[in-house]
Amino acid sequence: MKLWQEYLRPNSISEAVQALTSSPGQACVIAGGTDLLLDIQQGRHSNVHTLVDITSIPELNQLEVRRDLLYIGATVSLNRIASSPLAIEHAQALAEASRLIGGPQVRNVATLGGNVAHALPAADGTIAMMSLDTQVLVASQENIREVPLQKMFLGAGKTALSTGKELIAGFCIPLRKKNQASAFKRIMRSQGIALPIINLSAWLQREGDRIVDLRIAAGPAGATPRRIASVEDLLRGNTIKDGLISDAVCELLDQIQFRTSPQRATAEYRHHLVKLLLVDTLLEAWDRAG
Amino acid sequence: MQNLSFVGKSTLRIDAYGKVTGATPFSGDLTLPGMLHMKILFSMHPHARVLNIDMQEASLIPGVVAIFTARDIPVNEYGLQKNDQPVLCGPGSTRVDGDLVRFVGDQVAAIVAESEEIASLARGLIKVTYEDLPILSDPVTAMAPGALVIHPELGESNICVHDKIRKGDIDQGFALADVIVEDEYKTPVQEHAYLQPEAGLAYLDDEGRITVQAGGQWTHADREQISHSLDLPLDKIRVIYPAIGGAFGGREDMSVQIVLALAAWKLKRPVRIIWTRQESIVGHGKRHAMTLKTRWGATKAGKLVAASTEIIADAGAYMYTTNKVLGNSTITSTGPYFIPNVKTDVYGVYTNNVPGAAFRGFGAPQALFMAESQMSKLAEKLSMDPVEFRRLNALRDGDTLGVGTIVPGPVSVLQVIDAAATKFDWQPGKLSASTLTKNDAFRRGKGFACGFKNVGFSFGYKENCWARIELRGISEIEEATLWHGSAEVGQGTHTVMVQMAAEATGVTVDKIKLVASDTATSNNSGSVSASRMTFMSGNAIKGAAELALKKWDKEERPAVAEFVFYAPETTPFDKETGFSKPNFAYAYVAQAVEVEVDTETGIIRILRVVSANDVGQAINPAQVEGQIEGAVVQAQGYAISENYLSKDGRVLTDQLSTYLIPTVLDIPDKVESVIVEVPDPIGPWGARGLGELPFLPLVAAITSAVHDATGVWFNEFPLTPERVLRGLGKIS
Repeated sequence: MKLWQEYLRPNSISEAVQALTSSPGQACVIAGGTDLLLDIQQGRHSNVHTLVDITSIPELNQLEVRRDLLYIGATVSLNRIASSPLAIEHAQALAEASRLIGGPQVRNVATLGGNVAHALPAADGTIAMMSLDTQVLVASQENIREVPLQKMFLGAGKTALSTGKELIAGFCIPLRKKNQASAFKRIMRSQGIALPIINLSAWLQREGDRIVDLRIAAGPAGATPRRIASVEDLLRGNTIKDGLISDAVCELLDQIQFRTSPQRATAEYRHHLVKLLLVDTLLEAWDRAG
Repeated sequence: MQNLSFVGKSTLRIDAYGKVTGATPFSGDLTLPGMLHMKILFSMHPHARVLNIDMQEASLIPGVVAIFTARDIPVNEYGLQKNDQPVLCGPGSTRVDGDLVRFVGDQVAAIVAESEEIASLARGLIKVTYEDLPILSDPVTAMAPGALVIHPELGESNICVHDKIRKGDIDQGFALADVIVEDEYKTPVQEHAYLQPEAGLAYLDDEGRITVQAGGQWTHADREQISHSLDLPLDKIRVIYPAIGGAFGGREDMSVQIVLALAAWKLKRPVRIIWTRQESIVGHGKRHAMTLKTRWGATKAGKLVAASTEIIADAGAYMYTTNKVLGNSTITSTGPYFIPNVKTDVYGVYTNNVPGAAFRGFGAPQALFMAESQMSKLAEKLSMDPVEFRRLNALRDGDTLGVGTIVPGPVSVLQVIDAAATKFDWQPGKLSASTLTKNDAFRRGKGFACGFKNVGFSFGYKENCWARIELRGISEIEEATLWHGSAEVGQGTHTVMVQMAAEATGVTVDKIKLVASDTATSNNSGSVSASRMTFMSGNAIKGAAELALKKWDKEERPAVAEFVFYAPETTPFDKETGFSKPNFAYAYVAQAVEVEVDTETGIIRILRVVSANDVGQAINPAQVEGQIEGAVVQAQGYAISENYLSKDGRVLTDQLSTYLIPTVLDIPDKVESVIVEVPDPIGPWGARGLGELPFLPLVAAITSAVHDATGVWFNEFPLTPERVLRGLGKIS
C-alpha cells in the first residue's frame, strides 16, 4: 500500500492547478507535509492518488510588503515567519504563534498555508491571523480570488477550498499603523510536540487609554477557528480598566463552550485558563500599542 | 586510593563513532537477500476467547507467504518468570486456555509476506471471532473473592504475588509513636518510550541455527524462551543483539522474537519485523501502577518506630517480572531508614491491563515515592528539617532492614545525604529571598528525598556472569579479546567492560577487542538490568583476566581463560515474616530539587536537581553523569507529564503526541551530578550499581518541593497542570 501513486512538483501556480484538476484520482496539495503525511499514514485521510508539491513555486515563497499589505506566500516556512523582521513588525501575533508550533525541524518545513488548509479549530498560525484581519489568496484555473480568513472554514478539518481545483497561494495582512499592535499566547502541556490546550490572539488600536478597535480570536472554541465578536464589542471604544476586563472575561466565558479532550485537557481547565490568557494577551497587545 | 590506569577515566565510548555517524545498524536496519516481512495481528480485545480465525481471504492475497496462529506453536507458552503467556492466542493451542486473550497486546496471528504493505493488507483481512468476557481493569476488584479468574489454568485467584514482612511488634511500635502520618498514594503506569520500537530479523545461519537478531536485555534468557516455545534444543537457537535503542527494562520480556524464529524456521527464509510506535506502546509491558496505603510513626525526638504498609500492584495480564519487581517494592517500602517495627503486605494482581513489567527502578520508585513522602510529612509534623530528620533515621552499618537481616555494608545513606545537601546548599526553612520570584503567581520551593536499591535480582536467585579473555603477543601482551554475553542497551556497558578488561589485564583500551551479545560466542552473562551489569561483568572480567595472566606467565600463547562470577548467596522471603537475606549489595542516592509552580496555570518547572549517587567507584565518570542526567529526565516525565491513560484495558495514549515524554524544552534547567565513592567490598574496584538509582527519589523530591512552594501535598502524580490546579483548589 503506497501512500500515494504520483508526486508532482510544478513550478507555477497554473501548472499546480492544472496538476490538481487533471489527476485521475484524488489529488492533494502538499507543502511541508507535517500534518498531511501523518494523516495519510495513520489512515485519517482518504486515499490519495496524486500529491502536488507546491514548494517550488517562487510566488508562493515570497514574504514581502506589497503596497499597504504584508504578503506571506503559502509555502513560507514557519521558522522564516518567526524570524522575519517584517512579520515581527507588522504581524507580531503571527510571528509569536509561528515560533510555538512543533519543534525546530517541523518549523523548518511546515508552512502557513498548511496550517490554514488543515482547518483545525486551534491551529496557532490560523488563530493569530484571525486577529490580524487576514485575506487569503485562493488560486484556481480561472483566477485568484480573495477570501477573508474567517470565511475559509466550514467545519473541523473542512475549508471553503474547492478540493482538487483550488489551492491557497498566500495571505495578505494590513501593515501595522501607529498605536496598533498584536499579541499571541497559548498554554500547552509540554513544549514542542503537543497541541495547544488553548490559545488566544489579540490585535488592538489604542488612543491614549482607550481601545479604539480590536480583534480577538481563540481556539479551540468550536468546530472552526473563530473571532469572539461580542467580547470585541464590549471592549471597543472603552477605556482599559479592571472592571471592564472582568466584564470581558465573563463575556468570553459565556461565548465559548469548551469541550473535554480526553488526552489533553478538561473543559473546566480550559475555562480556567482562558481567563488568564485573555487578560495576559490583551494587556500585552495594549502595552505594545502604547 | 587505588592506583588505576583505565578505570575511573572518562574514556570515549567504543560505540560513539558508529552511532553518531549513523553507520551502526539497529535491528530495524538489518536486511538480507530474499527477506520476508512480518506483521502481528494484536487482539485489541482486553479479555475474550478466540472462537475462530478466518484467514481465507487474507491468505489469497498475492505475496502472502504464511499466516501463523496458535496451532503452529509447538509449546504455546512463554514467560521470563512464569510460562503464563501464549505466544499466539487462539484455538488449537497446546496450552489450556491458550485461546484466551487477556490484554489488548496479546498476539493472535503473525502474517508473513513478500512486503510489509502486503502483510499489513492481509492482516486487515483476517476475521477473528471473539467471545468477549468481562474486563477486569481494577486490581482491587480483581483481587476480591469471587472475581472472575483471568488465568483459570493457574488457580482460583487473580492474586499472583503476596510478599509479607513482619518485623518486631507493629502495635507496640505505634504505641511508642508521638506522631503518626497515615496516607494513601497512587502511582501511575509509565511507558518506556525507548527511541527504537521493537524490531528484529530472523534467519537460519550457516550452521542451520535459527538466528534471531532483535534487541533484548539477556541473550541467553531470550534463547531459552524461544527454545521452550519451539520445542527445539538450545543449540538450535542463536540470539544476537545488534545495537539497541534503549531498553529500561522494557525489553526483558519477549515481543517479536518467538514468532520471528518460528517463521524463519518454518519458511527457511529471512523474516523481518518492525513495530510502529503504536504497536510498541500497546505491545510491551509498563511500569506497574500501584496503590499504597501506609501508616508511619515516630517519636518526638524524631526516631522512626513503626511502619505499616499495604501495596496493591496491577500486574496486568501476565506475570512478566512482577514477582521480582514487587520484591523490591517490599524491601524499599521502608526507605533507606532503620525502622524497628514493620508490617508490610504487597500484592500483585492479574488484570486485563497491559502487563506490569520491569522498568528502571523495578518497583522501588513507587515504594520510595510513598516512603519519602511519609518522611517529609513526618518531618513537617515534628517541625524538623527534612534533611536532618533523614539523617537521624538513615540506615547505618549493622542496622537490620525490614527483612530482619543486616544490610550488606558499607551503608552510605549519610554520605549521599550530606553530599546532596552540601552541593545544593540546603538550609532549613524557606528558600532565601533572592530565589523568590516577583510575580505572585509563581511560587518556588525546595524538596529532598533519598533512595536505595539492591544490585541484581537476587531474592535467592544465584546471580552469575560469564566472561572469557584471550591475551595475544609474544614477549609482551600486544592485544586482548574479551567475550561477553551482555547487552549494550545504550547505557555504555560495553565501554566500561573494555575499561575494566584493560585495568585487569594491563592492555590499553584501544588494544582490546570486544565480542559480545551473541549466544554462539558467549556463555550466559546474565541480564542487563537491575543495576547489575557493571558489578557482575567487572567481577567476571577480573576473574578471567587473573586466570589468563597466570597462563600467560606459564608461556601459554595465546593465553585464554574463562570465568564465571557467582555473587554471594541470598535467600527468598520467608512466606510469613519476610525474614531473608535477599541481596548481596546495595547502592544509595539522595536528591535535592528546586521547583517553580505557576499557580495560575498549574505548570511546574524544575529549576535545579542535585543528585548525589554512591557508585562505589565510577568506572567512567562521564557515563555516570550521563546515567544520572538521563534518569532524572525520565523520572521528571514520570512525575509531571507522562499521563498514561487507559479505559477498560484499552490504551488511550498510544502515541507520543498524547503520551508526553519530556522534550529538551521541558527538562530541568540544571542537573548537578555528585559522584560519591564509598567502595563496595565485593564490587569490582569497589563499584556498586547505578542505572536505576537516580530515578528513584525524584518524584518525592518534586512533590516535597511543590508542597514547600504551595502548601499542598500531592499523593498522586503525574503532576499535570490540571492535577496541580485541582490540588490548589483553583478548579474542582
